[in-house]
Amino acid sequence: MTDSNHIIAPSLQHTLDNFKDCIDLTHRTFPEINVHLVYFDHLINSDELYRYITPLTEAREYEIQNLLIRSQYQLALDSDTVIKGILYGKIAIFHKDDTYLVDAYKPEARSIDASQTETVITGPHDSFTEPALSNLSLIRSKIKSSHLKVIKLEVGEISKTDLYILYIDGLANMDYVKELVERIELIEVDAVHDGNMLIQYIDDFPNSIFPLFSTSERPDTAISKLVAGKIIGILDGSPSVFTAPSSFFEFFASPDDYYQRWILGTATRLLRFAALVITLTFTALYVSVTTFHYEMIPEALLLTLTESRSRVPFPPIYEALLMELTIELLREAGARLPTKIGQTIGIVGGIVIGQAAVQAGLTSNVLIIAVASSAIASFVIPSYVMSASIRLVRFGLIILAGTLGDLGIAMGIAYIVIHLCGLTSLNTSYITPVAPSYFNDWRDVFIRAPLWAMRDRPSQSNTPNKVKMKQKK
Amino acid sequence: MMLLVMLLLIGCGDQRVLEKLGFTQTTSYDLDPNTEESSDDEKQGQQKLLISVTIPRTRTENSRELITATAYTSKEAKIKLSSQTELTIVSGQLRNTLFGLSLAKQGIWEHIDTLVRDSSISPRVKVTIVNGSAHELLSKDYSQHNRTGKYLDRMLEKEAISQTVPEITLYRFTRDFLDDGIDAVAPIIKQLDEHVSIDGIALFQGDRYVTKVEPDDTLIFAFLRGRFKNGEMSVDMSEVGRINEHIMFSSMISKRKIKIKTTSEGQHYHADISINVRGSVLEYTGKLSLDNVEHQKQIEKLIAEYIKLKTEEMVAMMQKNNVDSIGLGKYVRNKLSYEEWKNLDWRRIYPNIEVTCNVNVRIKDFGKFVNIEQ
Amino acid sequence: MREKLHPFHIAILIYMTQSGVVIFSLPRVLAQHMGYNGWIALTVFYVIVALNISLISLAYRLADGKSIFQIIEHFFPKIAVIPLYIFLLTLWMMIGCISAKRYIIIYQIFVFPTTHPMLIKILVDTLAFLLIIKGIYNISKAATVFFWLVIWTILLLLFFLHDFQWINLTSFYFHESSDIVTGSFRIFTAFLGYELILLLFPYAEKRKGVMKAVHIGNLLTFLTYILVCLVCYGFYSFDQLKRMKFPMLDLLAYIEFPFVERIENLIFSLYLFTSLIGIVMYCWSALEAAQRILPKANVKWLAAIIMAVAYVVSWVPTVLVEVDAWLQYLGQIEIGVAFGLPLMLLLFLLLQKRRDEPYIDYNEPS
Repeated sequence: MTDSNHIIAPSLQHTLDNFKDCIDLTHRTFPEINVHLVYFDHLINSDELYRYITPLTEAREYEIQNLLIRSQYQLALDSDTVIKGILYGKIAIFHKDDTYLVDAYKPEARSIDASQTETVITGPHDSFTEPALSNLSLIRSKIKSSHLKVIKLEVGEISKTDLYILYIDGLANMDYVKELVERIELIEVDAVHDGNMLIQYIDDFPNSIFPLFSTSERPDTAISKLVAGKIIGILDGSPSVFTAPSSFFEFFASPDDYYQRWILGTATRLLRFAALVITLTFTALYVSVTTFHYEMIPEALLLTLTESRSRVPFPPIYEALLMELTIELLREAGARLPTKIGQTIGIVGGIVIGQAAVQAGLTSNVLIIAVASSAIASFVIPSYVMSASIRLVRFGLIILAGTLGDLGIAMGIAYIVIHLCGLTSLNTSYITPVAPSYFNDWRDVFIRAPLWAMRDRPSQSNTPNKVKMKQKK
Repeated sequence: MMLLVMLLLIGCGDQRVLEKLGFTQTTSYDLDPNTEESSDDEKQGQQKLLISVTIPRTRTENSRELITATAYTSKEAKIKLSSQTELTIVSGQLRNTLFGLSLAKQGIWEHIDTLVRDSSISPRVKVTIVNGSAHELLSKDYSQHNRTGKYLDRMLEKEAISQTVPEITLYRFTRDFLDDGIDAVAPIIKQLDEHVSIDGIALFQGDRYVTKVEPDDTLIFAFLRGRFKNGEMSVDMSEVGRINEHIMFSSMISKRKIKIKTTSEGQHYHADISINVRGSVLEYTGKLSLDNVEHQKQIEKLIAEYIKLKTEEMVAMMQKNNVDSIGLGKYVRNKLSYEEWKNLDWRRIYPNIEVTCNVNVRIKDFGKFVNIEQ
Repeated sequence: MREKLHPFHIAILIYMTQSGVVIFSLPRVLAQHMGYNGWIALTVFYVIVALNISLISLAYRLADGKSIFQIIEHFFPKIAVIPLYIFLLTLWMMIGCISAKRYIIIYQIFVFPTTHPMLIKILVDTLAFLLIIKGIYNISKAATVFFWLVIWTILLLLFFLHDFQWINLTSFYFHESSDIVTGSFRIFTAFLGYELILLLFPYAEKRKGVMKAVHIGNLLTFLTYILVCLVCYGFYSFDQLKRMKFPMLDLLAYIEFPFVERIENLIFSLYLFTSLIGIVMYCWSALEAAQRILPKANVKWLAAIIMAVAYVVSWVPTVLVEVDAWLQYLGQIEIGVAFGLPLMLLLFLLLQKRRDEPYIDYNEPS
């Protein structure tokens, strides 16, 4: 940032230098009247643009000075004002040595809806839409800094889809930016349709079950990642914006956590990790206990369990797999159908099939509870992609529990841990900050510490500027 | 892929699927009355055992299944028991073991040992002695109560909370049995017509039943055994010189301390048991007034005197029977060096040591109602 | 960029390698061999181990980040040291595979009594293999995650506050101890694992904290052991403790929650994680030695061969007593290695210093 006491006279060259590497900046020249226009195309309304610019272009050069005296054109006296103005959706007009600003702010956007996949209760409800420029404007309108740099790339040999890589100069680690750009340039494929598809081309382990870059449809999430020193990518035609590098634990955070009081935020975070444990192990434990470890059941529950199991003709593992499969079918059916029918399917499936299955003696009612609660727990995980991965992993654990009991579950978890440890996201450990351990980061991973306590940017982004808050308490 | 196939192979043989199991809830051990006098078995030096187990069921009419077998060892019995039911008998849910008195008199360690060895049996399984035949007690259905096993289990747990009997689990029994400074105890129950009642506390010497504490005195035993909370006691004041006066002492919190003094001759020990009791008095019939401060002090003294009398009486009884159920030995042991303790024949010394009990009673409150004196 | 191990991870790695299922039987072993209040004896072992670590740290300081193999090969031609490498390789491989077998056999005491242990072992070995080929950095990451998954079980000891009696500890010290020498070896093997730090020299961050981290890891092991043993001594009577095969299992079985009881096999399953790290670390060390012998071989294949050989060897002992005996012999040899190897290194390094010749590494790994 320039020192506020030190005023620099506005000049075209200085402005352009400041926005170096911002591909979305428009610079138009009218040599015959000696006028330069500098503005962000996606932040202004083109009608307004023409309303202000047409008189200028139609005038002769000596008339310009008089036209510019009109009140809508404000004379800017220092460079900072100009830069700020541009970021706020003004058009900067450079004429000879004078610089004028004219307000034409109206970001281009089709109607912006609330996100369907990542909903929050409090906080902003807007979400990204398909056109990349509109998404870019959503971000630009919230980060008014010339340090926000944009790199434009093209992916898809045929589709030539635009891809914008955004990072904040001075916060993001340039090695990661370079690495990411390199990887994207290496993609040779006909077309890429969505951000979630793109990340599969560029992540470190395409065969892993876990998503290695997090995606989001929410501008506030994207911005929080940017200021955390991470890199985000906007693919034209996709509302999913991806972040790199990401860690496993990032998928369990929701912007809601920050909009609530920190104690509530912490409680919700912990709830989510509890949900992770429940969704992974609940059904598996049921299978393991009913198949191998009967002695773990407290006496009060014993008869209930035996009673409900005694009518079921299958071994617990088949019973559990059957019910889990049904739940997955219901979920998939609900997702493919229009919302209203989807709800009906949910009710019909949940109540009718569940009830009937118990009455027909196909499953025990305790299992229904286990399956249902682990399914609900899986939906607590904010990221849809991660929640889908976890649900699939759960099947593996159930099979292991059915063959080896508790030992099987332990082996399954050991395998997951081993797998997770091997993963990297943009060459950084996927399970930061647990290993390598950065205890400072734990304040924003397992709990949501009070805002004043989170002073540093996360270690994973390896940022050159670690401190995000200097204010003392 | 290969691993998957292997996975499916593993464990199939060792599955213990819930509904195919018969969980023994309570096991009873008796000497078989039919063979008790038979000379054949005497020659083998072993008597036949009568072992019964209850298995809670939901679908049978009695809501439980009782099977009985006679055998020389409990494991042999398990095989015989298993052949009588369609379920696989497992003992991982065992909650209670009942030993008939006649067996308890012969020693029960052999059976406890089997139970402790079995990795599926919880160390929390209760050990209970039955005054009479354990089998009969267990086989009877008490129409006014739950299924018998659960009924006994719940009753013992409840009584343990109110300090009438100690809660004796396999772990505690084994701990005390294998400790050379204390003798094991166990609750003892007996069968009445339509229910079962606590019949005191069985005192063991080694693993053999020797004598018992009468049900009325169980709380006195609790004072001696250690600290406890939440007891209730009726004090008969006639024992301390006030005829026809009774007092209910409740919500007691008691702490016990033992100090051992050695007298100059070395082989002579003196045990000081100090008992500190706090509690409240809500009921009193007698001439003193509950609301007079001086009388209150007097009541405290009377109760203390009563407890002292009773505890000393009980220690004398235990010394007479040569059972160190309150663990004085442990405290003596800590006073001595290793060689001294090993050379000491504790069993021989114990009956002759001097024991004094010092009781301190504090009454926290006398209820929330006051009688104004006229 | 090759990542280096941070001291914190080294501490955890050492802790996870040291502790294992041995904690389940350790209180009994102490009672048998060290007698009354044997838990205090752990302090002695801790001090010995700490001294040994100090010895190693001396070697570490002189080695200046070179691997032990480089140091040894600096003095002898490679052919001459191959027998030594083979010896180390075999030793470490055997310790790895036999301790895996031990875990499984103990597990079979309560579940899967009739399943063939080798069927389960192949699964455990596969897990170990998958972790080994990911390299030491990822092993330490996994160790850290496993550490957090296991360490909370120590809190379960709070459950025994109620039944813990100081009087059960008695006032006798080390009476009724028997076979102190054999016993000492048995107890000492419980601490083994720290010596593998010798192989971590080139992988550690060049900071002062490395050796401190090993000490902290060892201290953590010691604290866990002594806590568990103290609770066992106070919870059980002495004779009882002496007769219990796995006192800590019984301890866990005693815990009862309203929704679950008898959690001993659940917790024991969790200890798969610590034993896994132990197995992995020993096999990884074996792999390191093997790589020195055959520097051009493919690491994955080498690891696979080591695991396969280890698997075959572990067919031989079949019952717990045999496994224990094997582990005992191996542990005794390993104790020798733990003291001998750093001494040897120190000797070499000092000799080298005296000669004061410029160090040239002919075997810089590619």
